Amino acid sequence: SVSVSPSLVRSSLGIRPEDLKYFKSDFIKCKDGSKKFSKAQLNDDFCDCPDGTDEPGTSACPGGKFYCQNAGHTPRLLFSSRVNDGICDCCDGSDEYDGRLNCTNTCWEAGKVARDKLKKRISTFQEGVSIRKKEVQQAKEAIAKDEAELIKLKNEEKILKGLVQQLNERKEQIEKAEENERLEKEKEEKRKRDSEEKSDDGEKHSTEVQHDEEKHSTEADDENHESIGLLDEPSVDQDEAEVTDDTAAEAENEEAVRPSIEEINQMVAVVDEDSTAVDTELGHNAESKASTVEEMKKENHENTEDLSREELGRLVASRWTGENAEQTKEMDHGKEEQPEDNHEAHDDVHDEEGDGYNSEMGEDSHKYDDEEIEERDGEDEYAEEDHDDSSPSYTSDSEDQTDFSDVTTTSSSSWLDKIQQTVRNILQAVNFFQTPIDKSGMHFTEAAHVRKEYGESSAKLSKIQSRISSLDEKLKLDFGTEKEFYSFYGRCFENKQNKYVYKVCPFKKASQVEGHSTTQLGHWEKFEDSYRTMAFSNGDKCWNGPDRSIKVRLRCGLNNELTDVDEPSRCEYVALLSTPALCFEQKLKELQQKLDLMKSEQPQIHEEL
Amino acid sequence: WKKEEFRTCNQTPFCKRARSRKPGSCSLIAAEVEIDDGDLTAKLLPKINDQEESIKPLILRLSVYQDGILRVKIDEDQTLDPPKKRFEVPDVIVSEFNEKKLWLQRVLTEVVNGDSAPSSVVYLFDNYEAVLRHDPFEVYVRRKGSNGDGGRVLAFNSNGLFDFEQLKVKKEGDESWEESFRSHTDSRPFGPQSISFDVSFYGADFVYGIPEHASSLALKPTRGGDVEHSEPYRLFNLDVFEFIHDSPFGLYGSIPFMISHGKDSGTSGFFWLNAAEMQIDVSNSEGGRIDTLWMSEAGIVDAFFFVGPGPKNVMQQYTSVTGTPSMPQLFATGYHQCRWNYRDEEDVENVDSKFDEFDIPYDVLWLDIEHTDGKKYFTWDRVLFPHPEEMQNKLAAKGRHMVTIVDPHIKRDDSYHVHKEASDKGYYVKDASGRDYDGWCWPGSSSYVDMLNPQIRSWWAEKFSLQNYVGSTPSLYIWNDMNEPSVFNGPEVTMPRDALHYGGIEHRELHNAYGYYFHMATADGLLKRGNGKDRPFVLSRAFFPGSQRFGAVWTGDNSADWDHLRVSVPMVLTLGLTGLSFTGADVGGFFGNPEPELLVRWYQLGAYYPFFRGHAHHDTKRREPWLFGERNTELMKEAIHNRYMLLPYFYTLFRKANTSGIPVVRPLWMEFPGDEATFNNDEAFMVGNSLLVQGIFSEGVKHASVYLPRGQSWYDLRTGFTYSGGMTHKLEVTEDSIPAFQKAGTIVPRRDRFRRSSTQMVNDPYTLVIALNGSKAAEGELYIDDGKSFEFERGAYIHRRFVFSDGKLVSLNIASPPASEKFFSTDCVIERIVLLGLSNGKKGAVIEPGNHRVDIESGPLKLRGGKGPMFLTIRKPNVRISEDWTIQIL
Repeated sequence: SVSVSPSLVRSSLGIRPEDLKYFKSDFIKCKDGSKKFSKAQLNDDFCDCPDGTDEPGTSACPGGKFYCQNAGHTPRLLFSSRVNDGICDCCDGSDEYDGRLNCTNTCWEAGKVARDKLKKRISTFQEGVSIRKKEVQQAKEAIAKDEAELIKLKNEEKILKGLVQQLNERKEQIEKAEENERLEKEKEEKRKRDSEEKSDDGEKHSTEVQHDEEKHSTEADDENHESIGLLDEPSVDQDEAEVTDDTAAEAENEEAVRPSIEEINQMVAVVDEDSTAVDTELGHNAESKASTVEEMKKENHENTEDLSREELGRLVASRWTGENAEQTKEMDHGKEEQPEDNHEAHDDVHDEEGDGYNSEMGEDSHKYDDEEIEERDGEDEYAEEDHDDSSPSYTSDSEDQTDFSDVTTTSSSSWLDKIQQTVRNILQAVNFFQTPIDKSGMHFTEAAHVRKEYGESSAKLSKIQSRISSLDEKLKLDFGTEKEFYSFYGRCFENKQNKYVYKVCPFKKASQVEGHSTTQLGHWEKFEDSYRTMAFSNGDKCWNGPDRSIKVRLRCGLNNELTDVDEPSRCEYVALLSTPALCFEQKLKELQQKLDLMKSEQPQIHEEL
Repeated sequence: WKKEEFRTCNQTPFCKRARSRKPGSCSLIAAEVEIDDGDLTAKLLPKINDQEESIKPLILRLSVYQDGILRVKIDEDQTLDPPKKRFEVPDVIVSEFNEKKLWLQRVLTEVVNGDSAPSSVVYLFDNYEAVLRHDPFEVYVRRKGSNGDGGRVLAFNSNGLFDFEQLKVKKEGDESWEESFRSHTDSRPFGPQSISFDVSFYGADFVYGIPEHASSLALKPTRGGDVEHSEPYRLFNLDVFEFIHDSPFGLYGSIPFMISHGKDSGTSGFFWLNAAEMQIDVSNSEGGRIDTLWMSEAGIVDAFFFVGPGPKNVMQQYTSVTGTPSMPQLFATGYHQCRWNYRDEEDVENVDSKFDEFDIPYDVLWLDIEHTDGKKYFTWDRVLFPHPEEMQNKLAAKGRHMVTIVDPHIKRDDSYHVHKEASDKGYYVKDASGRDYDGWCWPGSSSYVDMLNPQIRSWWAEKFSLQNYVGSTPSLYIWNDMNEPSVFNGPEVTMPRDALHYGGIEHRELHNAYGYYFHMATADGLLKRGNGKDRPFVLSRAFFPGSQRFGAVWTGDNSADWDHLRVSVPMVLTLGLTGLSFTGADVGGFFGNPEPELLVRWYQLGAYYPFFRGHAHHDTKRREPWLFGERNTELMKEAIHNRYMLLPYFYTLFRKANTSGIPVVRPLWMEFPGDEATFNNDEAFMVGNSLLVQGIFSEGVKHASVYLPRGQSWYDLRTGFTYSGGMTHKLEVTEDSIPAFQKAGTIVPRRDRFRRSSTQMVNDPYTLVIALNGSKAAEGELYIDDGKSFEFERGAYIHRRFVFSDGKLVSLNIASPPASEKFFSTDCVIERIVLLGLSNGKKGAVIEPGNHRVDIESGPLKLRGGKGPMFLTIRKPNVRISEDWTIQIL
């Protein structure tokens, strides 16, 4: 029978040193307070306390804990299920005492290995802690800088807004004056013409055609400018009163044209998306035959009658594996989700337009300030991002990088001053001629100047505003308790595994790249598990599975290094990222203490060996 | 579920024809009735022989076996040169059965009232006779001395639906014999050859059996009365993707064995040994009779009638023909952790260590197809599994085992040694034109080893030797999947019916037994590997009568929803009723992601399946027990612990099944055959004769109605509260457990200590839970052996009966033969005896021999589970389990 070893040991068997006192008295309470037991019942191999208090040294109580000292190594608490189960669990062998098994004491050897490992870990931590400190410091400075910039930008925005408004008012004044002037002129001419002969019907027609062409060619032009141009011809037959209405009508017309172009853009984008999707699918599958099956399947739906025998085999197999069918399904999904995709495409189009706009203005702004860094950089980044290929480690997202290197150089205040000065000059100059309209037409140059100034300033303004909003966004992010993850912002970490490159961009997204195809593993969600894990969710759809997601576990390391990417459950990825951000001083102390403890327990047992 | 890819009865000519026949259309009479070779024989001839088409007579042979078994064989007359011999399924009937034949000496001739022609009557069993009615031809079993329907038990062709299509030779150019379904054409070289007949069960309230269907325990009528259009129950082994619950559609295995039960007339059974596609109609007739129509595409009539009269008698009778379930190794009765797929060695190591981290016991870790090199069985993906032996040895060091999958489709790849050998030796099933049949399965283009041939089975078995199966170790066991056989591009996802097997047998003739032979060969391989000393463990998806001899079976690719949890109970019970005791459903559901609540409920129920395995499709989220938060982990752990606690009881029940065929889990009516309220209850079941378990099959349930059978009261397994029998109780349900009860009057042996796996439990002491009935008495059994070898067959085991009465517990030896040739011993003792139903105030007990006094105190029913009511507990009697003793309560 399972007899407990000599009573000598019995009273202390499996008890943690700090608990020994607890078991001294003659009657002992179960720790859960449920009842009392006598000293004779301590470790008598019969469970009296539901919580196992009375059997620290036997397997009698389920859920009990057995303490092994493991001198030379680390003490351990075992589940009571391990006591005398025929397996040596404690390196000192104390968990197997019923005589069935002789466990050799391996604590010293095992301890040495563990100590060496621990030492290594400690040295990593030591270095890591100082890197982390540096980074925390840098992050604080950078954030302070960001905040300062934000304040400055907001101030500039305020000023610039005022200027733009002034310029706009001025511009409108001028334009109105110009119009009036022109209308006046036209009236005069009309009168002249009327007095001559009413003859030029055909000519009018041709002008209209011309006007149409003009309209197309001036698509990208300033709206106001365009509408002014548009006014030229139609106004021929109309009197002044109708002019404003007509302008509005034209503006509407203009708007009606715009969406349709957007639609076209969207369509193009969708087509692109689609073709990428198809590429992706094909890329996914090395077996081209399967795609034939898929096509067949798509055409015939579930009609399997016309399939070749192999195709049928593959198709039926795919029901279980989802592998081939996934393609169809995902393609179907792609279709189902077109509205959503459209949306994205739409956004992209906007971005592109925005970029185009910016860059165009950017060119203009050179005239203002040559020190400014070209927006083109950003555009290049964008292109690179778009192709998503062979980008180096730590690629960053376009907007962010652009923002980093944008207008906000130290000289920026000088350009604001310049603008202010220029505007003041213009306004003063214009104001100098108290009457805005002068038939002499001498201030046409003045008008051009105002328009140009207006265009440049409002471009500048929108740029500043976009910078403000991106800074706002950035500063809202959770960079950790000590902002230790600030340096992750705008960076991506990569890991290559066979044909896949995994790319994790904190605060943004994570993806799996294979050749030219990219699968989104998830969008940034948050830090989890007290900043030990980064969670990305809502990635690309998965056939028969959840939307893709990835959790990146963080651990202390000297470099930011992505490793161990894995998919333990379908479409749920995990990865490991070593980073100094996780090298906590507190943890270092714990490790050192642990090592000290291990060293201090130089056992007699070792000497016995 | 792709309905249109599978045939309906109407799309199956033989079924359509048979179903459209009118009662009484059989015109055969029995002639030349005589005793021959201990059998009653006769010729079946048309009463009026049609001159135009001469119908050849059929030969009928009626035999009687011990213990109430009647066998009727009907086949073509071999002396009349039929085009070929029809297929008789070999290697299903156990050899011992033939020794049980009673040699008939005489036949009585009697004119049953109302008949114009005589009937021949022979002795069948104690109180039963078998009757061959000559005109019209009919065979039935009746109670002795009865005349007329009142004494009938079950009858063959009493509705005159018997039909036997004889083989013909195809004439040149006659294409009408071909049969097409979808894109597949069946050449049917011998034309239609189906057999159909009716079987009537008298005094039956319900019929059961004929798996495998995802449907109710009591078979619903498929025809007649107010039944709306229904397919017959189909028996055709198929790999059905995402099968639906509550359907007569045939799934992975087939057992043409039906059991009837009635309150007044008891239980009887009918078994048709035939491996071709079968369709069975059930219809209720007036007067408590249930009529059934059996239709098969090919083969012969080889039918067995079991007289009962009790449910357990029928089980014994059936398993005396097809064999009793093999005795599993102890480890196989523990918890199995499976997933498609545990990907690599690291994954295996992580999962294994997590069980230890959470102190959850488990015994077996499974590897699905992805562990192989390109789906070539007996190989390893050396990138993912570079050190398979080391991996298995690591598990084995913790007393754990591993299972790998081996399917019957062999990749057609010349560099694959199994394929090379099989094709060189001509071991593959052939297509209709005689070439190796080439189908499509996991590896792509595949061929199928012809398991009908004993020589090929023997060759296959050799593949499992440690030398041949590189990377295997003695702790590795096997899983046979896809053995229906599943052929992705075949008709109905299986092999064409005109494919050819050993001896010119068409696949149509043996289809339902293909997986059986494969299972048999694999189990034989493991037996050979262990030199006949190690009990094989082989799980199979396809099955046939007799599969119980080779290992466990599971219910295939179910889904993670509540309906599938619910239907798992009647499915497992039905398998048990048809001899397959070691069965279970995938815990959690194979397809889809179970909500944590469903998963927990599934663990709570699955812990009582005889075969307890968690499994999941590779598209599903990970669902190991620790992944759903602390509370759910705790609940699943508790469910698994429950199973381990009850292992001594389960193992005793497995032994019971091994000796008697009575299944481990049983429908309530098997234990309470006189309690009508239990007859169609398939939400609750009995584990052995002592425990009743009620599943919880829907979400957020707060209450459950549980019918507790009459005759005894019942003790709640968790709280020890008593409930009276013979009524439905509305019980509160918590998340802690599903309702489960111990019947008053029983003793359940337990082991309350937990270990990593069952292996470490062998030396642990026992607990007895004595649930006293109204007369303060109880009985129970405990069977123990070495848990792995076959020594128990030579008497190396302990079998005790514990009897409590008059305040005294006695341990009796019931091992038979009592004087064992071999001896099994153990030092194990009983550490605790819990007495339910005894009033307080008892202070001690005396153990004899030794006149040793022990304490009685109050203690919990279960050590875990916090504070609960306390019961009288005999503290540390420490009596040895292997010895005789008495404990007298003072």
